[in-house]
Formats: sequence, structure tokens, C-alpha cells
Amino acid sequence: MLSIVVPMYNEEASVGPLLAAVREALADITEPWELLLVDDGSQDGTVAAVVAHALNDDRVRLVRLARNFGQSAAMQAGFDHVRGDVIITMDGDLQNDPRDIPLLTARLREGWDIVAGYRARRQDFLVSRRLPSQIANALLRRATGVNIRDTGCSLKAYRRDIIDRLQLYSDFHRFIPALAVAVAGARITEIPVRHHARRFGQSKYGISRVFKVMADLITLIMLRRFRERPLQLFGFAGLGALLAGGLAAAVAVFLEVESKGAVSGITMTAVATCLVVLSGFLFLAGFAAEAMLHTMHENEQMAGSLLTEVPV
Amino acid sequence: MNVTTVHVSLVITVAERPEPLVEFIAEYAAAIQQAGYVAEFVVVADPGYRNLLGVLDGFAESAYSVRVFEAAQTIGETGLLRAALPFCHGDIIVILPGYRRVMASGIAPLIDRVRDGAAMATARRVSPSESWQNRLRRGAFNLLGRQLIGGAFFDLSSGVRAVRLDALRELPVYGDFLRFLPAFARRDGFRVEEVTVPQHPDDLRPRTYSPGIYVRRLIDLLAVFFLVRFREKPLRFFGLIGASLSGVGLLILASLLVSRLGGQPIGDRPLLVLGVLLLVLGVQGVALGLVGEIIVFAGSRQRKPYRLTSMALAPAASVVPVTPLPEPASLAVQ
Repeated sequence: MLSIVVPMYNEEASVGPLLAAVREALADITEPWELLLVDDGSQDGTVAAVVAHALNDDRVRLVRLARNFGQSAAMQAGFDHVRGDVIITMDGDLQNDPRDIPLLTARLREGWDIVAGYRARRQDFLVSRRLPSQIANALLRRATGVNIRDTGCSLKAYRRDIIDRLQLYSDFHRFIPALAVAVAGARITEIPVRHHARRFGQSKYGISRVFKVMADLITLIMLRRFRERPLQLFGFAGLGALLAGGLAAAVAVFLEVESKGAVSGITMTAVATCLVVLSGFLFLAGFAAEAMLHTMHENEQMAGSLLTEVPV
Repeated sequence: MNVTTVHVSLVITVAERPEPLVEFIAEYAAAIQQAGYVAEFVVVADPGYRNLLGVLDGFAESAYSVRVFEAAQTIGETGLLRAALPFCHGDIIVILPGYRRVMASGIAPLIDRVRDGAAMATARRVSPSESWQNRLRRGAFNLLGRQLIGGAFFDLSSGVRAVRLDALRELPVYGDFLRFLPAFARRDGFRVEEVTVPQHPDDLRPRTYSPGIYVRRLIDLLAVFFLVRFREKPLRFFGLIGASLSGVGLLILASLLVSRLGGQPIGDRPLLVLGVLLLVLGVQGVALGLVGEIIVFAGSRQRKPYRLTSMALAPAASVVPVTPLPEPASLAVQ
């Protein structure tokens, strides 16, 4: 079964056209499908529009969140309630084209875990949308090692067992493929998909997204590389600070000796002290993180989730 | 009393400003009964209030149940509430401080609101004759609260609330968070309503608090601000602070580097210490944020990042209209 998950926030005007487009796009497929609309605490008539347009259509289901929890939480709510073994995600603002869904699923059936769509001819402004997106994608590719050219495109297909191993929170919906690779070793491919300019409503994102994405990216890198061994991250950083502190101390001694006391080394001594204190702090932070992880592993056996059974 | 008939459990936490409890309970019990609810009282007290609790023996034969507990050590109002919950039989809990803050007639509307679908109804005291000092203090506290933690709360400190037991069990009932439960409930997606109720005359007198109390409340507000806004994304909080400090530090160090390249010695410039210190503080901030992210990641499997309000689940083999189901109602009130 195919499950299409669409988070929606104040998309009243888009509901009707979206449902029509999905029905038309999937009219010819033989596989059963369901459309799971996740209302993320909309304040407009989104829910009423869903009820009006999906009355008596048992393929359409509605999940309503109690308030606006954000796109990651909405997507996770959808994932938690799907019934299909293949999951498609797409935006509710009609920028994605449901006609691409059969292409995604066909590619997934070839054996891939994730098929990511990329917007071949993106219908957005160059400076305000496309350029920042290209920079962010390049950064993400470099940081995660996952070669996806259009992370911002929501139209993607996933195998259900991959999604079941993830737990989205914060704003991690942007990084599902990277998380899936890190946590479940997912195999990913890409195909070009159509893109339409937004027809209704406004974009929910502003310039503040830049800092948030950067913070999330740092978190993702840290979790990917060090979530099982945080002391290595903090320990290396601590050693670096210790070395820098030692260097500063050596300069302080050199200044005192070389000038025979004429030049005070007090400033460099203070710098050295700061760096040594930083080193100690970083080591302590690493130990605290290790203790946290140790407690978590006592409560939960995670190793099993990394394994995928290979048919023999 | 048959516990299966209890609709409402009134938990009275006695931790400060003790009042004669017999009259207090009788007054509230009469009002609750008049509204048609079957109530039980659970009185929980910090040590040192034995003289107040002893007189409650007289309630043994009354129409409503009164159970009295004394804590082994001082645990404060929030701790007392948490300790009382296992002894409550009602589906709705009414939280009351051990002194009169609102008129007894104001309790039933709170319960009504919860029965109508809210997860929590919190009292907003109104009285035209309250002292200006009290009003100023409460107004400033709640204004700050609204700015920091959001929500349209005008009387977080009333301490009088009605709340569904199942919702209360999901809220952080620890520390000094009793007065901030509405903020946490709103964060978690519960429906919270502030209900205007008449203030009790005993609560109108001007009160003075030590400066330490103000500092504690401010720190509590900061804690709630962090937990409400950044619980799932600590690096955004620590990272912003850390990046700002490091940025200023790097600017200072860059200016010193320019001086050094211009031939000026910088080894004894105090600015060098400031620059390094800010850089170090910034790195510490970011490191704390990363530790926070590990903690959040570690706990993410145990917690859903959302709450559903209602859901239409259509069985695959039948035709069911997409109609949101009503709010989950677990209240056994008849």
C-alpha cells in the first residue's frame, strides 16, 4: 500500500486542488493508496476544507495536531499513522506535482530505500530562494556526505521500515535522508520532479531560517559522527585548547625570560589560563555526554535497529 | 464514600500562609456540592502544620471524604501536589493553595470548563478593591511571563486550577513549576483556558516578599522560558549565545592581529585577554548546546513531538466520511 503524507498549515485554498490532483495522478495505479493529511494546528478553514472535499472517500484520512507543532512533528505524526509499506511525502501548497508519485514508487521498487525528488526547473526567485537553497544544499552535501542535490524538495519516497527507525523532532524533516543514512544506512537515489510556483497563501519561512538550519546542521553532523562517542569530539577539542593554552604559557615564559622581566607576561598567562580552563570544561562536557549515552544504552538496545535483514 | 462516585478531587497544598482548614474546606465543599459535583478533599502539608491538620478529624462523618497527609520533609507546593496524586480518585483535579485566594463560588466554573473540553482551566482573580501593590506585582510578573513564554496568561500565580488527571500526569510536576503548569500544558498541546473568578477578600491585603523571592521567581521564569521554547533544540539557544560571544571575541582578536601586523606589540594588551575570554565562553556555550542535543536525541524515542486533538481513521474496507472525532473524553462525570 502507498501512503502519501502531507503536512498542512493554513492551506485552506490548496486542499481542494491538491485532493483533485492526487486522485487524478493515482487513478491508473493498481496499488491501493491512502492520503494522510496532517493538519498542523491550522487557524484557517483547512480542516473544514478537508472534510468538505474528502467526504465519503475512505482513502483520505485526517490527523489533527492540537496546536502548531511544526513540520517535523507533523510529518512524524503522519509517519506514526500510515498503513502503507511505501511512504511518499509532499508539501500541501501544490508546489509538488502528484503526477511524479508513480515515478518515485517505481524507482523505489527497484530496490532503493529512499528516492528523493529534485526540482528540475524550479519556479522560484533566484536571489531569495534558489541561491540560498543551492548554498545550503552544497553545505549539507559536504557536511553529511549524502549526495542529494535538493534537500528542500519535500517530494520523496521512503520504504516504511527505514522511516520506522527514525524519530523526527525539532526541524529535522529537512534532513530525513541524511538521518536515514546515519541511523539506518539507507540507500538513496534521485529523480527529477516537476515544480510549480506557489498558487495560494504565503511561504511559512523567513530569513531566521538561516541560523536555525545552520544550528540543525551542526547538530546533525555531531549526531552522525559522534552520537556514540561524544568524548572523542569534546576530547579532541579539549586537547586542542590545552595545546593552545600550553603555547600561550610558553610565550608568556619566553617574554619574561627574553626581556629579563622588562616585558610582563601577565596577559599571555591570563590567555593561557582561559584556554586551559576551556580544555577542562570540554573534557567535563564530554564525560557528561558519555554518562548520558551510557544511561540511554542501559535502557534501550539500539544496535538492532541498525541491521537490515538480507534475503538469502 | 464510594470512590467510584467521586467526580472531583480537591488537592489542598499547605506549604505557607496556613489558615484554619475546617472553615476553608467546609466553605469550598458547600460550593462544590451546590454545583452538583461529588468531591473528595486531599490535604497535603509540609511538616510543621500538625496543629492545623489535627482538627480535620471532625470530617470523618461528613458527606465528602477528607484525607490528610503530612510530608516527611519540606517539599513545597509542587512536591505536595505530586505526592497527593496517587490518592486522588477524581478524573478532575482541583489544585488549591492552603489559603483562600478565590471565592469558593469560583471553583465550579473551572470544573465546568474542563468538563466542556479544556484540559486545564486556570483561575484569573478579579477584584476592584485589591491593593495597587499586589496588582502591580502580579501585572509585572504576568507581563514578563507572556513575553518570555508566550500564551495569554494574566494570572499565572493564582495557583487555583482545575485539570484533567490524565493531562496532569503528563506535565512536569516538580521543582517550583506549580504556577507554570498552564504554560507547560499549552506547550504540550493541551487546551488551557483562563477563567475569571472572584478574588477572596483575604487575598486582597497588600503583601510584601523578600528580595530573594523575586529573584527566585525570575529564575523560574527563565527556566520555563528555556524549557518551553528550546526543549527540543538546545543548540539554538546555547549556539546563539555562544556564537555571539565568540563573534565579538574573534572581532577583538582580529583587530589585535591587524595591530600586530602593523608592527605593534600585543603580548601585554589587556584586550587580548578579553578577546580570548569571550572566544572561550562562546565555545563553552556551543559545547553545552551540543551536550543538550545529545540528551534530547537520547530521549527522543521516549516522547512524541506532537499531540493529536482528534483523528478520523477510516477503515480500509469501509466508506467513512472524513469527520474529526470529538475530543477524547475520559471524564467519568455523570
